[in-house]
Amino acid sequence: MLEIRNLHAVVEGEELEILKGVNLTVNKGEIHAIMGPNGSGKSTLSKVVSGHPEYEVTEGTILFEGEDITEMDADERAHLGLFLAFQYPVEVPGITNKTLLREAYNTIARANEREELDPLEFEDYLVSKLEIIEMKDEFLNRSINTGFSGGEKKKNEIFQMAVLNPRLSFLDETDSGLDIDALKVVSDGVNKIASPENAIVMITHYQRLLNYIKPDFVHVMMNGKIVKSGDISLAEELEANGYDQMQKELA
Amino acid sequence: MSSVSTKELIHAYVQLPGVLRENFKELRSQAKENLDTCAFPTKKDEEWRFTDLKSITSNKFESVDTGIAQADLELDEYHLPEAMSSRLVFIDGNFSPSHSAIEGMPDGVIVGNINDFPEHEQLRSHLGTMTNYEDDVFVPLNDVNFQDGTFIFVPKETVIEQPIHILNVFTHRNNPHFVTPRVLFVGEMYSKATIIEEHIGLSDNVYLNVPVNEFRLYSGAHVHHARIQRDSKNASHISRPVAMLDAHAEYHSYTICLGSKLFRNEPRVIQNAEEVDFTVDGLVLIDGEQIADTHSIMDHRFSHGNSHQLHKVVVNDQAHSIFNGKIFVAKDAQKIDSFQENRNLLISDTGKVNTKPQLEIFADDVRCSHGATIGQLQDEEVFYLQSRGLTEQKSRELLVYAFALESVESMAVKSVEELLLKEVIAYTNRD
Repeated sequence: MLEIRNLHAVVEGEELEILKGVNLTVNKGEIHAIMGPNGSGKSTLSKVVSGHPEYEVTEGTILFEGEDITEMDADERAHLGLFLAFQYPVEVPGITNKTLLREAYNTIARANEREELDPLEFEDYLVSKLEIIEMKDEFLNRSINTGFSGGEKKKNEIFQMAVLNPRLSFLDETDSGLDIDALKVVSDGVNKIASPENAIVMITHYQRLLNYIKPDFVHVMMNGKIVKSGDISLAEELEANGYDQMQKELA
Repeated sequence: MSSVSTKELIHAYVQLPGVLRENFKELRSQAKENLDTCAFPTKKDEEWRFTDLKSITSNKFESVDTGIAQADLELDEYHLPEAMSSRLVFIDGNFSPSHSAIEGMPDGVIVGNINDFPEHEQLRSHLGTMTNYEDDVFVPLNDVNFQDGTFIFVPKETVIEQPIHILNVFTHRNNPHFVTPRVLFVGEMYSKATIIEEHIGLSDNVYLNVPVNEFRLYSGAHVHHARIQRDSKNASHISRPVAMLDAHAEYHSYTICLGSKLFRNEPRVIQNAEEVDFTVDGLVLIDGEQIADTHSIMDHRFSHGNSHQLHKVVVNDQAHSIFNGKIFVAKDAQKIDSFQENRNLLISDTGKVNTKPQLEIFADDVRCSHGATIGQLQDEEVFYLQSRGLTEQKSRELLVYAFALESVESMAVKSVEELLLKEVIAYTNRD
């Protein structure tokens, strides 16, 4: 589904490389976790894959379903089925969740020559997805993330993911700042969305999230590269020994 | 720029037919004196230093013949469904009885053409009493020249349910000309009304629109006043709307600027007794080389007044927005609660914004807050929407729409709200 080959990236207009040759393959039905210390480039990877204009790919390719998406705009990637759950979801006063999602859903449907939903059908569809994150109807009519608590913002990201039904989702630090109750709701939501037909890549600093969403693969990212891959035991090792220990071992 | 006499720019203010000139003679002769002595403003005047008046000074404006308005003009699309029997239409300044419709008004209410009531006591005692603009040529210009105009009188404890639509239409008339719409509103104790004042240019011709409004609200009177400016893109529009409020009166005004090359709006609200509440909100959407300038005064002369001003501006291309919001609180006017905010959104690299809050407070127990922000669309916001599948263009449109919408939501009349939403969408889609 996703194949990242030797990906190098810089902040647009700057020279310092943040990604220094990332390789990653994600197949349908898989859940991956990318772990790493602050500044390792893991959040940057998720932004580069989703097409953030702030970054420039200087080398390497990103293939999605066999198609080279390296130079595509973010919206075109979304039309193909890519989704990014933001670490810091953006507040957009004046536009409701419902308005955004209807526009997004129908734009993606048009791009894929699928039927659009009229307002009534869409309302029903939205309401049916609310239970995934245990939110009430009024959530739909609130301005996007405006005045939301940290937990509500993260739930909203997962709600958007449920509604847009992407093939591949990057969850960027979705667990950060969540109390235990919110973490459970969010991870339950992700588990409900996960299916043999889609794939998920979680970006996280701590192992905590992995207690709730079980990854098939765990990768460790340091200094702009994936330095080690394995299964859940790798995360446990990190939790026990810390990133410093691993860095020493690798050196 | 050397000083120019108003006479040279704006011709023929003595050509009113005798009968019209005879009405309001005193007001007109006083105004004529002011007009003869006051120079036309230039950038050397503090109040005009940011405002390029070229679109006026590069033309000479003739007066419009008084007479019959074009009865066959098709204007249905501009009628508001809520005001089908409460509408006054003026075409190039002339009252058009055939386009107007006033029916089913409560007893004692007057909604009509000023010239049909020259001897009315309420009209005679109020007209020209509130427009005390210093060293001003525009009010006198209107005083001397206005022919037809709106007179609304709402007696004590009377409520006009349907909004009154004052529609000023500007046709494709060729030579540069000037029009002086006039409104006098008198609301007695505990009366209530909603006024939609609209200015629409049907073509892109050059004209100068100089409306003067006087709203007198006696104790407990409530008025909602929406002003929609959709003048020709080559027009200049200089507005002088004044409201004077007695105790417990509420005046909520909302001005939308979409058209004209030059817009200068000088709303003033005067607190004339204790305990009043008023709003002077605005929304400006400009592009190309449009200039939109708001110089407002919220004048608290007595205690216990609440005032609120949210002035929102979107600037595209080389457009230029100017805002000068004055809040005056007199020495003994305690317990004033006044809020002012000017928020500007620049969506081009070449747009320009000048903003200046100006508080002059002589009382010591008041709360006045003010703020001015100038921002651009945040890349992160655009990316967020784009990552959900919206095109970059659509994302930007939606963000501008959201910025403008916050103020549109406070509109009192449904069809006006819808009209504005359409205008906002049209604005975000302009090339």
